[in-house]
Amino acid sequence: MSLSTAFNVISSSLAANAAQTAVVSNNIANVNTPGYSREIGNVVTNSYGGSDVASITREANAALLEQVSTSTSQAAAQQAISDGLTRLAQTVDDSSSTSSTSGANQNGASPSAMLANLQSALTTYADSPSSSSAADAVVSAASDLASSLNSASATVQQVRETADQNMASSVGTINSLLNQFTSANNAVVTGLQTGANVSSAEDTRDSIVTQLAQQIGVSTTVAANGSESIYTDSGVTLFQDTPRTVSFTPTPTLVDGANGGVVTVGGVPVTGANSPMPIQSGALAGYAAIRDTLAPEYQAQLDQVAGGLINAFGEGDQSASPTLPSLPGLFTTPGETSLPSMLATTGLAAAIEINPNVDPSQGGNPNLLRDGGISDPGNPAYTYNPTGAASYTGRIQDLIGQISATRSFDPSAGLDSSASLTDYANASVSWVQAQNQQASDASSYQNAVATQATSALSNATGVNLDAEMTNMLNLENSYASTAKLLTTVTSMFTALLQAA
Amino acid sequence: MTIVGANFVSTNYLANSLVGPVMQAQSQLTNAMTEMSTGQYADLGLQLGDQSGYELSLKEQVGQLQTLTTGNSVVSTNLSTAQSALTAIQSNAQTTLNNLAAWTPSGTSGASLQNMGQSGLQSLISGANTTSGDQYVFGGINSAVAPIADYYSTPASAAKTAVDQAFQTTFGVLPSDPAAANISASDMQSFLSGPFAALFQGASWSTDWSSASSDNTSATIAPGQTVTTSTNANQAGFQQLAQAYTMLSEFGGSALSSDAQQAVATAAASLVSQGADSMIDIQAGLGSSQSAITGANNSMSSQLTILQGQLGNLDNVDPTATATEISSLTNQIQMAYELTARLQQLNLAQYLPVT
Repeated sequence: MSLSTAFNVISSSLAANAAQTAVVSNNIANVNTPGYSREIGNVVTNSYGGSDVASITREANAALLEQVSTSTSQAAAQQAISDGLTRLAQTVDDSSSTSSTSGANQNGASPSAMLANLQSALTTYADSPSSSSAADAVVSAASDLASSLNSASATVQQVRETADQNMASSVGTINSLLNQFTSANNAVVTGLQTGANVSSAEDTRDSIVTQLAQQIGVSTTVAANGSESIYTDSGVTLFQDTPRTVSFTPTPTLVDGANGGVVTVGGVPVTGANSPMPIQSGALAGYAAIRDTLAPEYQAQLDQVAGGLINAFGEGDQSASPTLPSLPGLFTTPGETSLPSMLATTGLAAAIEINPNVDPSQGGNPNLLRDGGISDPGNPAYTYNPTGAASYTGRIQDLIGQISATRSFDPSAGLDSSASLTDYANASVSWVQAQNQQASDASSYQNAVATQATSALSNATGVNLDAEMTNMLNLENSYASTAKLLTTVTSMFTALLQAA
Repeated sequence: MTIVGANFVSTNYLANSLVGPVMQAQSQLTNAMTEMSTGQYADLGLQLGDQSGYELSLKEQVGQLQTLTTGNSVVSTNLSTAQSALTAIQSNAQTTLNNLAAWTPSGTSGASLQNMGQSGLQSLISGANTTSGDQYVFGGINSAVAPIADYYSTPASAAKTAVDQAFQTTFGVLPSDPAAANISASDMQSFLSGPFAALFQGASWSTDWSSASSDNTSATIAPGQTVTTSTNANQAGFQQLAQAYTMLSEFGGSALSSDAQQAVATAAASLVSQGADSMIDIQAGLGSSQSAITGANNSMSSQLTILQGQLGNLDNVDPTATATEISSLTNQIQMAYELTARLQQLNLAQYLPVT
């Protein structure tokens, strides 16, 4: 080997050393960048016997990345569902109450607790039917029950409207992420063709996919030219060379029975009952589940309770040979002239009110509770106590019986179709709390999985400062040796030239 | 040198690995503190899930039993009031009976018969019009109206008018008329058991005497247990006593002959005795309702204990377990803080010689 070859080796060594130092510096600079994949300089022996950094490998791990995005999607969906259900569960939140040690009115604010209070008030009224304060107490308990159904119904509507707004902002985020993805993907494709370092562009792509997974469940594939395609977890294309348009029209007001708009990806509906390929995960799927399934189901249960109440407190024709139809009594809805069918109760929970004829604050007569005739005061056909006896308890006992009597409910509301009003209201509370518990558990679980997957990914592809420092020391030593070599070869040259 | 597999830990992960567990422990600690201070689960709904409805139904049962127990005290008060009024009526009847037994016809003895009748009738009427709260206890369900109108009112009550009218119809004179002295004992007897007795029965009774309803009030004293909680002034006892006292009051001090007065006294004694007996029967009936209420209260109180025990099982946290949880969480958090501080020291750069 000639001395000039030695020079060549030295200069390639210095160049390789510089390239590796750049890699180490880059790694150290990004030690705290989430989602950064560490780089490794691949050193090979060149034709002179020296060394070259032939390429830089990005320490990616597609499998773990996929796991991170899947678990992130699941966690985001469950989180969205859990948030919505927590708000629904507030309508039945009785946990602030004590164990009812001091009688009624201690049971919280749920329709179920209000129904129990009404039953208690009626029981007290039955013991003192001549007491107008007992009658007033029944009317006010009934009024509380109606308001609690109204406010629960309003909460459901709010939850659905919030979910609708969240869907709109989620769709906005998805579209903007897809646009960012386009430029990152183009950078990778062009970079690969020109042989440039695409690590940073690939990091950006991965980070966008992870952010996208928050909003909508995704899966990805990479084509031979390095272009990455994104599909929803249900298989609809979100990005293939160009982004597909995700569109959604928000509905600002979602009253009971109204359906919100659907999200479409490139024209294919991905939410709603009629979607051929509904998305399964991501916050968007969670919001859609709340808006389209869970909240409406709870609303239907509230409507059933309201319908059941109006029917239970309805007044029948008391004539010897009844001919007149039964009419709404204590509970009614504005302008109602007949008892509602239990199969068409939409909107009742929002509209239910106590009959003004029995409400003293609206000029009504609370004694009609005992005597009957709330539906049509003065009409003898609907009067249960024709003599006006002050201690007549037949009607009051009848009403108490109606609350605990088994009635039929619409099975499509998701609860047992044959139950007493009390049991049905309790079953509805159980339903909400069970859904809330499940969503909360699932959310904690998926969050734990996502954290685990993120840690695993970070350990597989992240930077360890100590390792980089060790590399740095190696490089320092190698640099020092090379410099020493250079000095030695130079002095050899000098000696050679002086000898000459 | 390449490090792979489980041995490789990224510095970012190492630095942040304790953040998650610390936050989780802190939120658990908050819950545990709440549980410690309230004795109940921090979020009951989340804890119970689909048991929530069952828990609510237990609470409702507790509330229902408490309402019934409270209501029973109102009913008991009404019943006790009725009982003491009945006792008074019954003892008055007994006194009258004793007085009648001691009575013998003489010149002025008519006035004492009349006094007996008058005071007896007044106390019967005031007894029958006893109120408890705003309810007349002997009114049946028609508890807002005094069951028996004042006999001695001015203008003359319907009852008084009807009595005078019946006497006039039968004998052609009023009891105070001197001509009434001609009425024989047997005529008087048949008048008393005939037209006069009819005034205290059936439609005449409800028209002239009683505003009470024959329907008694009833109350639910325990779930599914309903008892009659009043009696009413239409019971035979009230009619018999009213009849006896009225005949004494109206015909005792009248112009009747001694024989006829004797007939009045005899008829009255028999009615008062029957009336006193039926008062005892009525009291027995109410007494059985009272004992039913006592029994119901006892059984509801033991049910309440059981139900509240069940509720406690669902709602309450074990204070010992919570205390242990709090101390172990506090330890965990302290440990995590310490570790975080130490991990920050674990950095190769700190140990390299400065050149």
